[in-house]
Amino acid sequence: MAAAALRGLGYTGRLVLVGREAHHPYERPPLSKAVLRDAATEEATAIHPPAFYAEQDIDLIRGIQAVELDRARRQVRLADGTALPYERCLLATGGDARELPALPRGTPGTHYIRTLDDARALRKSLRGGARVIVIGGGFLGLEVASTAMDSGATVTIVESADRLLPNALPAPFSAWLAARATAAGATLRLGARITSVMTAAEGSPPSGLILDDGEHLTADYIVVAIGLRPDVTLASAAGLEIDERNGGIRVDARCRTSDPYILAIGDCASQHRDCLGSHARLESWQNANEQARMAAATLLDADPPPAPYPWFWTDQFGCNIQMLGMPAQDLSYLCRGEAEPAAEAPKLIWLGHRNGVPVHGVAVNAAGDLRQMRPLFERGIRVDPAGFAGAATLKPWIKTCQQAAAPF
Amino acid sequence: MKWIKIASTDALENDEVIAVEAEGKQLALYRSDDEFFASDNVCTHAYALLSDGYLEDGCIECPLHQARFDIRTGKVLCAPAASDIRVYPVKVEDGNVLADISG
Repeated sequence: MAAAALRGLGYTGRLVLVGREAHHPYERPPLSKAVLRDAATEEATAIHPPAFYAEQDIDLIRGIQAVELDRARRQVRLADGTALPYERCLLATGGDARELPALPRGTPGTHYIRTLDDARALRKSLRGGARVIVIGGGFLGLEVASTAMDSGATVTIVESADRLLPNALPAPFSAWLAARATAAGATLRLGARITSVMTAAEGSPPSGLILDDGEHLTADYIVVAIGLRPDVTLASAAGLEIDERNGGIRVDARCRTSDPYILAIGDCASQHRDCLGSHARLESWQNANEQARMAAATLLDADPPPAPYPWFWTDQFGCNIQMLGMPAQDLSYLCRGEAEPAAEAPKLIWLGHRNGVPVHGVAVNAAGDLRQMRPLFERGIRVDPAGFAGAATLKPWIKTCQQAAAPF
Repeated sequence: MKWIKIASTDALENDEVIAVEAEGKQLALYRSDDEFFASDNVCTHAYALLSDGYLEDGCIECPLHQARFDIRTGKVLCAPAASDIRVYPVKVEDGNVLADISG
C-alpha cells in the first residue's frame, strides 16, 4: 500500500519492496475466512495484480528476508548477501503469530495462522469433519472457529480470559458473542488454563489438551491463535526506540521512528495517538492502510491525510461485526436492536458513550447504521442516549443530534 | 439502447440509494444532487448490497468493508475492493427512471 501511495503521490525515484514471503503482497483478513474455506478465493487476496509492480516501476523482491538494517551506512542487507542502499527506509515488518511454548510452530497436527501458507495448511486439515481445538478466543481464534465449523469441523475454543475479548468489547456484548458462538455449535471454555498436551504415544501428534479443572479435550488438530508478536528484529538490532509496553517500534504521528531516515507502519509500529494521549499499536487492516498513506505523505513532504477514526470489522458466526472508535473503562453502554443470540440474522448496535458523547460503537449486521453515526463520533457530538435506543429508525435521530449540535 | 423502467422518481429521496430488480439483475439506484445513477448492487469485493451502504458526495460506500465506488463511473476508489462496479445509463422520463441494462 505504501509503495502504491508513493507512486500515487508522484514519487518517480527508485522504489524497492522487500518481502520474506514468496507470494506477491496479499491481504490477511481473508486468511481466517474465505481462504480457509475455498482455495479459489486466494487470487482475490492480492493487494495489486502481479503486473502492477512492473507497471509502477516497483522493484519487488520476494522470498528473501532482510536481515540487517545498517543505519550508519544507510543500507539494508538481505539474506542472500545483497546490500540495498537507501535514502529513506520504511519498515512494515508486521509480526508473527505468538507461539505457545508447549506447542511450538512445526508441531505435527498443530496450526498457526498468519500467512497464506498457514491458511493453506489449515484448510487441508479442515476437511472431513475434523475435531478442532482453537486455543485463543480473540478475533482470529473466533473467525477460525467459525470458518472451521462452516467446513464441517467440530470446534472447541479454549480461552484463558473469563470473557471473550475483554479489552475490546463491553461485558454484556462479550456474553452475547459467547452465546452466539455456542448457539452455532461451538464449545467454549472460558477462564481455562491448559495444564498439559496429550499425545497418544511418544513423538506422535497431540491428541488433545488437559485443562486445569481436569477436563480432557480431544482433537484431531489444534489451532493456536493467541495473538501477534510484532516483528521488530531489524529495528531492535539497529537500536531504534522500541515501545516497552507493546513491543512495537515507536513512531510519531507522521510514522517517523527515532531515526529521521527510517519510518515504520502497520502491526510493528507503536504510534502516538492524540485521541488516546499516548502511543498504541493497532492491529487492524484500516490502521495498516492509513499508516501506509501517512508514511508516503511524510516521505514526500506532502500534506498528511486526515486522521481516520478507528474502525475494525470481523466476520464470524453469521455476523458482520464492526467497531468504531476505541473502548475505555469509563464508558456507559446501551443497546438497540434485535439481540437474540440464536436469531438467524441478529441486528444490533452497542453504543459506548461518555456523558452522552459517542466514543465506541459495536454493530452486528448493522454496519450501515453505524456508518451513518460516524459524524457523531468524529465530531464528538453529545447525543440523547434514550433516543438512540428508542428511535424507530436512526437516520432522523442522527440528523436531530447533528442539528442540535450545530444549529443553522 | 433498450430502456426499461426500473423505478419512479419519487421512490427515493435525494442522497438515498435503494435496491431495484430488473430483468433478473440486482441493481442499486442512487439519487444524488437530484440526478439518478444505477449500478450493480453486489459489491465487487464480497457479498454485500451497496443499497445498504452509505451514499455521500457521489460515492457509494459498501456497508460490509467500506470499499467505495464513484456512482457516475463505477470506478473503485479505495480498498478492499479492487475491481470497478458496473454502471448503467439512466434517464428520467415522465416521472420514471429508465435504465439500459442490456449488453
